[in-house]
Amino acid sequence: MQKISRKALLSVSFICFLIGFMIAVLFEAESSQKTQDTRDLWEIRSAIAEQQQQQQHLYDEITIHEELLSNYEEKSEHIQIETLNDSIKLLEEQAGLIEKKGNGVIITFQPIFLEDQPYQIYPKINADLLHIVVNQLNQFGATDIVIDQERLINISPIRNVNDKVYVNNSPISDLPLEIKVLTNNVDSLINHMEVSEVIDYLAMENIKLTFEKASDLYLQPYEGTIDMSGIEISEQAEEDVN
Amino acid sequence: MWVPIVFLIIGLTLGLLTNFTIPPAYTNYLSIAVLAALDTLFGGIRAQLEGKFVHTIFISGFFFNVTLAAFLAFLGVQLGIDLYLAAIFAFGVRLFQNIAIIRRLFFDNLQKNKKKARIENLSNKKDN
Repeated sequence: MQKISRKALLSVSFICFLIGFMIAVLFEAESSQKTQDTRDLWEIRSAIAEQQQQQQHLYDEITIHEELLSNYEEKSEHIQIETLNDSIKLLEEQAGLIEKKGNGVIITFQPIFLEDQPYQIYPKINADLLHIVVNQLNQFGATDIVIDQERLINISPIRNVNDKVYVNNSPISDLPLEIKVLTNNVDSLINHMEVSEVIDYLAMENIKLTFEKASDLYLQPYEGTIDMSGIEISEQAEEDVN
Repeated sequence: MWVPIVFLIIGLTLGLLTNFTIPPAYTNYLSIAVLAALDTLFGGIRAQLEGKFVHTIFISGFFFNVTLAAFLAFLGVQLGIDLYLAAIFAFGVRLFQNIAIIRRLFFDNLQKNKKKARIENLSNKKDN
């Protein structure tokens, strides 16, 4: 075997360098290729329309907030305080801390009794089913929900505790159970709920839903306190405010 | 021995860090070029072990093979024939052959060295 010359070693190293570089480039090219767009024209168009709608929505929101900001900045102290009070009221309403009245639906959970079964257990609602119902209600345009005197807010828990369903950490009553829902479009909500598959899920547990339109429905406020101990203002937000 | 490996790693990291990408249509050419480069490299190692390594042939072989492979692929695309398969086949076969020969030469060298050591040991004993 020959002794490896310095020149040969250098040229082999150079070739190795080129091979490494080429493999890396190839690897990058292969991995970037995987995200291929397979949508057809119609799907892309509808996606664009959706994005535009979202953009419009964001613009509207920006306009509202900018108006609010200019109210703070430009107007006199009295108006500033008024604006502040308005914002607090609005935020409290959004958080579910004040009572609310409006058009809505009263949904009642009722037990189904089958005549052909001699011994039947009294049906019970569980937290999972209630979750599904609440999700469906939110999906179909519910703005505010009260489950058996308990106002649902963004952080309301619905849990099973010792065979009982707890909402906002207090137990709800057995069937028949009443849910009050406020919505901007009562008919649409009822229609959607009536054909929703949640009716089938409830029927499996021998529970049926009845819907009743109600005008001037009263929703009580959330009674607990919202725990803010884990919440901090981020530096970014603080800078934005300043 | 370790210098080429270091350079290989440098090449890999440089390629990954620079985010240098090529259009997907050209990945075929690059993969063939990589194969040609590997073929040249193993050919070079084999020549070194056989004691026939010539620097100019090694370097020119590398560039010539890479260019020829890319050209074959290009021609194949123009003619609508998968000509790059020919290049892959040729380089693949040569790669395996070269590696087989390198392995044989390596074991031969190992045995020779062992024999040499034994003879030296025996002669040392006789001298004593």
